[in-house]
Amino acid sequence: MKTKQLQHLFLRAGFGITPQLANDLSKKNRKKVVEFLFTTNSFLPLEIDLSDLSIYTQEYMKDRANSMEFQRKSNQKIRDYNKLWMERLANSELLLREKMTLFWANHFVCKNQNIFFVQQYNNTLRKNALGNFGDFVKEISKEPAMLNYLNSRQNRKKQPNENFARELMELFTLGVGNYSEKDVKESARAFTGYNYKFNGEFVITKYHHDDDLKTFFGETGNFSGDDIIDIILKQKKCARFVCEKIYRYFVNDQVNEKHLDELTNVFYKDYNIQKLMKFLFLKDWFYDEEHIGTKIKSPIELLVGMQKLVPFSFQITKDVQKIQRLLGQVLLDPPNVAGWKGGKNWIDSNTIILRLKLPSILLSNAEISIKEKGEFEDSFEKYHESNKNQKDFAKVTVDWDFFEESFKNTSFDEMKSLFLITAPNEGTETYLSHLIKSSKKEFCIQLMSIPEYQIC
Amino acid sequence: MKRRDFLKQSALASSLFFIPGFLKAFENSNPNNFGYKRLVMIQLAGGNDGLNTIVPFTNDDYYRSRPKIALQKNDLIEVSDSLGFHSSLLPLKKLYDQGNLTVINNVGYPNPDRSHFRATDIWQTASNSNQYWQTGWVGRYLDTYGSNAYNAIEIDDSLSLLMKGENINGIATQNPTNLFKLSEDPYFKNVLNHYNDEHLSEHNLGYLYKTMIDAKSSSKYIFEKNKIASNNADYPSNQFANQLKTTAKLINSGLETRVFFSSLGGFDTHANQLNSQKRLLDIYATSIEAFVNDLKKQGTFNDTLIVTFSEFGRRVKENAGNGTDHGAASNIFIIGNQLKKQGFYNELASLSDLDSNGDLKYTVDFRTIYASILQNWLAVNDEQILQQKFNSLDFI
Repeated sequence: MKTKQLQHLFLRAGFGITPQLANDLSKKNRKKVVEFLFTTNSFLPLEIDLSDLSIYTQEYMKDRANSMEFQRKSNQKIRDYNKLWMERLANSELLLREKMTLFWANHFVCKNQNIFFVQQYNNTLRKNALGNFGDFVKEISKEPAMLNYLNSRQNRKKQPNENFARELMELFTLGVGNYSEKDVKESARAFTGYNYKFNGEFVITKYHHDDDLKTFFGETGNFSGDDIIDIILKQKKCARFVCEKIYRYFVNDQVNEKHLDELTNVFYKDYNIQKLMKFLFLKDWFYDEEHIGTKIKSPIELLVGMQKLVPFSFQITKDVQKIQRLLGQVLLDPPNVAGWKGGKNWIDSNTIILRLKLPSILLSNAEISIKEKGEFEDSFEKYHESNKNQKDFAKVTVDWDFFEESFKNTSFDEMKSLFLITAPNEGTETYLSHLIKSSKKEFCIQLMSIPEYQIC
Repeated sequence: MKRRDFLKQSALASSLFFIPGFLKAFENSNPNNFGYKRLVMIQLAGGNDGLNTIVPFTNDDYYRSRPKIALQKNDLIEVSDSLGFHSSLLPLKKLYDQGNLTVINNVGYPNPDRSHFRATDIWQTASNSNQYWQTGWVGRYLDTYGSNAYNAIEIDDSLSLLMKGENINGIATQNPTNLFKLSEDPYFKNVLNHYNDEHLSEHNLGYLYKTMIDAKSSSKYIFEKNKIASNNADYPSNQFANQLKTTAKLINSGLETRVFFSSLGGFDTHANQLNSQKRLLDIYATSIEAFVNDLKKQGTFNDTLIVTFSEFGRRVKENAGNGTDHGAASNIFIIGNQLKKQGFYNELASLSDLDSNGDLKYTVDFRTIYASILQNWLAVNDEQILQQKFNSLDFI
């Protein structure tokens, strides 16, 4: 497989590719490479140690002070879990499953303050990431985190709460315009009584469940929540809606209707996510020039992608969230149930400047080398003098040895094409060529600090 | 060639090349049309329950629909014989008494969308409910009458659709100093000085460069203006108040910014509404009070209009979780001291004649309010910006 295509595939199915892996896989054909993606995707739950929270039983939490203390500790654990997730994304061999988990986290968008529920939810996403979409939706509808987030617990026969039913159709399965207000009302009745026990186990409170007939998409029956989901899956619009999201995320912000039809037809057969992804990555059109280097990296893709090339770790847990927040994407803390919009929406005056500054802040003591060939320009020292405190912005440990080792056989030109999936602007390229190439480390920072590096 | 000479030459060359194509679009815009009045838009995000904000305390339907969450007369601040303000809104009541507040009731639009995101897009783009527009109405105002990104500023970490135009986007910033410091990196300056491409926003990469150029020029201007200004009021300590504090400072610095935008989230009260709405309205009202005082003290209140909206109101009937579901029409607040019609602009719609979803029927299209503001306040062509003709109202 050609290096460019390999890079493209690994940027979309993962977070980029190291020189070693690119070298290894370049000898294989597309089928073998895609096979490699799917053989390394077993389910490995992401878990943190919660044993110190075992004293917070249902009885113990009845006391308000105890319950508040739990909330404080839980929030701390959620921050730890965020960091752990970032580390998993950067280090995992299970790249496709982890990338898909990140995708689904912005599809079945949810937020919760109980770390037990957060962890359980996150692993439900991970477990089903390449499974059957129907089973996936049903499990999501019963997750305590979701029951809380979209008020299913307050959805009772006497007074239905429509929040979950509406978002189920609007955001999770069909999309706006593909259902009526009546469908929202009727399906909300099917999900009445949904609840969970203190330990997170799902239950239906019979007393609150509406057992009467419901009419939904022309069918009438005493439907349960699962029945409603089954009826939704029968609508081809559901397959199309999900495939469109997959297409925008993995292929291009601009949808090619013909290609979307192809995906929809494959997915509608059995809603098998793994089959769909394999079909996509084997398609010739996935590797068309018009798709390569056309997407803007999400903040997480940017951060994790940097870590793939230059491993680094944050010394302080809070710094991880701080940087995510400034870039506009905090894991486990979506802006709302529609999630992050993505694409150009990642970029505004604030985020573009921070993104370009990020490599120097994190990896290079807040400085990008601008030594030009010939002599040293000293007028810039003053600028860096006044910006020294930016090092305190985030404390990181950088593994430059790994970087040096993995790029030791790579030329400067090869580095450029490995770092950038798109050809740099002519002027930018000229400027880069004026700079001294005294070390790969410096060149790495320079390459990561131009707009082209924001593209995948 | 010596390096110094080379640098001089390339700097000269790059400044010649460096006239991005999109800037040419501004050459014909007339700065005299730009005016000096300012508009501050505030969104109560999540769908504020207008019915529990301005409360019809003599209406039996209100109490019948909301046995658990209806507010009682003695908990309200009475302003007329039938309407009372939520108890958290005392600062607003003061503005009402001073003639600095207009409340427009039953604001909505045909075929309302009860999705937060669609409804927010509709309010921010001013589209019909079946249209999907990619530019906000403030963005189109920038396109037509603005000349720089800083002509509209959102006090936030990221930019809303409201502020996005075809050719110009507004600027989003929480902290002008940080934005400026970061943008001054010499490496970026050099990259931008060398950059040469006419097709700045035609693809994602061009868009990145364009945003970078906008950010760089705007952040310098905002920073330099902002550092000479100060605040002159005590603000509560919360994020929303901080946003308004920054807004006041920017206004008082004499910045050429016509529109500011901030939002306060959390109004999606499907459950246990009473406490959360009380807390949020308190944050809103006390922050607004400090903001207005700040502007008044520095003489900028005269030329500032503050408009508060929410993407929808909530269902008239309460739900089982002591909350309310997504509804349709709601009230909006206009604050300023050039109001033609002070107090209540119109009557509250009937609570017995609801739409098929059990929501309040709208009587005022929100775009008639925009049209009035564009025409009578910002003194520009509203039809061109809204892309439809709406009757303007007589409140400003």
